[in-house]
Amino acid sequence: MSIEHARADHFEHPSELWRASEPRASYDVLVVGGGGHGLATAYYLAKEHGLTDIAVLEKGWLGGGNIARNTTVIRSNYLWDESAAMYEHSLKLWEGLSEELEYDLLFDQRGVLNLAHNLHEVREGIRRVNANRLNGVDAEWLDTDGVKEFCPIVNTSSDLRYPVLGATLQRRGGIARHEHVAWGYATRASQLGVDIIEGCEVTGIDVAGGRATGVQTTRGPISANKVALVAAGHRSVLAEMAGLRLPVQSHPLQALVSGLLEQRLGCVVMSGAVHVYVSQAHKGELVMGAGIDAYNSYAQRGSFHVIEKQMAAAVELFPIFSRAQMLRTWAGIVDVCPDASPIVGLTPIEGLFLNCGWGTGGFKATPGSGWTLAHTIATGEPHRLNAPFALDRFAHGRLIDEHGAAGVAH
Amino acid sequence: MASSAPSEPRMAPLSGWESRFVEASESGVVELGERPFLAHVNLRLDPSNLSARARVRETLGVELPLSPNTVSDGAGHAALWLAPDEWLLVGPTGSEGEIVGSLQGALAPYHHSVLDITANRTTLELVGSRAREVLATGCGLDLHPRVFGPGRCAQTLYAKTQLVVWQIDDVPTFRLLVRPSFAPYLAEFLCDAMLEW
Amino acid sequence: MLLISCPWCGERDEVEFHYGGESHIAYPDDPEAITDDAWGEFLFVRNNPSGEFRERWLHTHGCRRWFNLLRDTSTHEIVRSYRMGESADQSSGAERESD
Repeated sequence: MSIEHARADHFEHPSELWRASEPRASYDVLVVGGGGHGLATAYYLAKEHGLTDIAVLEKGWLGGGNIARNTTVIRSNYLWDESAAMYEHSLKLWEGLSEELEYDLLFDQRGVLNLAHNLHEVREGIRRVNANRLNGVDAEWLDTDGVKEFCPIVNTSSDLRYPVLGATLQRRGGIARHEHVAWGYATRASQLGVDIIEGCEVTGIDVAGGRATGVQTTRGPISANKVALVAAGHRSVLAEMAGLRLPVQSHPLQALVSGLLEQRLGCVVMSGAVHVYVSQAHKGELVMGAGIDAYNSYAQRGSFHVIEKQMAAAVELFPIFSRAQMLRTWAGIVDVCPDASPIVGLTPIEGLFLNCGWGTGGFKATPGSGWTLAHTIATGEPHRLNAPFALDRFAHGRLIDEHGAAGVAH
Repeated sequence: MASSAPSEPRMAPLSGWESRFVEASESGVVELGERPFLAHVNLRLDPSNLSARARVRETLGVELPLSPNTVSDGAGHAALWLAPDEWLLVGPTGSEGEIVGSLQGALAPYHHSVLDITANRTTLELVGSRAREVLATGCGLDLHPRVFGPGRCAQTLYAKTQLVVWQIDDVPTFRLLVRPSFAPYLAEFLCDAMLEW
Repeated sequence: MLLISCPWCGERDEVEFHYGGESHIAYPDDPEAITDDAWGEFLFVRNNPSGEFRERWLHTHGCRRWFNLLRDTSTHEIVRSYRMGESADQSSGAERESD
């Protein structure tokens, strides 16, 4: 990959790129949550639908939540038609996004391997490849030799506890620089007239006559015609302010990063069976993730044994990493739906919109999620892409079970 | 080592490890060995059933302990508390058939379960003045004598292996009950831990 | 790692336990009679507070009993553990703190 990354060295927090705004008393649309999804929602509302009387409310600093805490994997190889359509739309947006935002997102389609370690996973992997192809999503099945050829540093010897029996490969999958995504969307949204308000925590949602009318914040009340809840991990708490109970549970999801190493890992490697996913960022650090911690939590930290297990798996799969030093570990809060698919769309409260339940895989969906939610907010109706991801699917039984594709590794 | 006296020859899960154990052990400090083939019988019954508990006492000469993680002894048998309605009965090698037969007769009127699980675990014995320190390298149990002394037992995860830990005297001597397929792993772990002492 | 107090075995490392989600979810008296919304709520909707939460744990590697924990999801502080059949308020279970 010989992409010229003009801004690759700009990792400081560039707050000069967007206007710092004081909250006004009222807006047409309030987006609660200034992470990737919230900023994308505001950007597409302005860009695609011509709405500009918009404020994004962020309780901390812009891009300080899960957009800063994820492992940046991008792919669209989900099993079911509904998911394939949603994630593939998102991937197509990624493919033109650096140009559209005029901001280098370091989007790098280096390929994503999902390893199979037992016969069941081989069957499921091949099934998913076939399903992906039927949905126009690029997908290939590699046998063990094919894995070795594509990613030579993966240990493919047959005497592993969990030998590599093959892998799905999505060549269009890859990674992007996460904070650039937040900054890129914020910069363009701000230029289009969106107010970005940091340090403004929502403490209450005003509902009158079955209709959302605004929010209470730590910087005073703000009224609005429409309110969109897009705050990762915390949506149960926010929704409860409006009297809504959601089928999501919040869990810690831990990640780790190593010191800077020579470039040796040219693709993303994920394994659900041994609980690890890893890529090497542009600067050279290994970025790894574990499975979620089992218990509910909002503490942005998890238990050590989870990452211990994940590191054991990483070292077995990549003996070359066995002496790498992990510099930092952290956790984000992910809200997980019972079917491992998100909720994007309307709520029983008029003018209140919801985007939640992305679980461990929300980063890849940032453009598609913002794009479909913006359509829903602007038109009052879900787009055909997010219509299946309605809140009421849990009452009607139309679940979109993506535990296989989403399970642990994202 | 207990001599094996069953009708068919059995192979201890750690047969062949004797020289490793001798090498790792230091007399009076810490010693490790296997005591295979002790009779293990799992017993479940309602702890509030006084008559059933009395039948067990009359049959085996041992009282079923009601306090969690404690052991009672009597007449060559030991009863380890595993759960509120579950005990592990340990007897001399070869006695499992007799224990099961006599209990099934004695408990016939009551709702119960008696099962020979002798083959389910083997027993390691860790003995000596430093046995406690060696044991502490692999688990988070509070092994301080104030908390864990003779007559105490615990089921725990030991160096990622399921284990029943049972202290039988003040030396201290610990009996470690482990699945046969995990026994070499556990033995390897303990031999390594003993190096320090 | 959490240090969890099993109401039977006492304090043990989290790795000995299995998490079971929210406690005190009652099975509907007459499942056939309730609406789809109510059934969906029973199956899929649980409380998800940032704060005190009553949850089930199984002491997998110990006594293999399910029990309840009152735990704060924002701090991981464990307020109390109590046996099945007891309520959090009148429990005789161990009262302790940990993280």
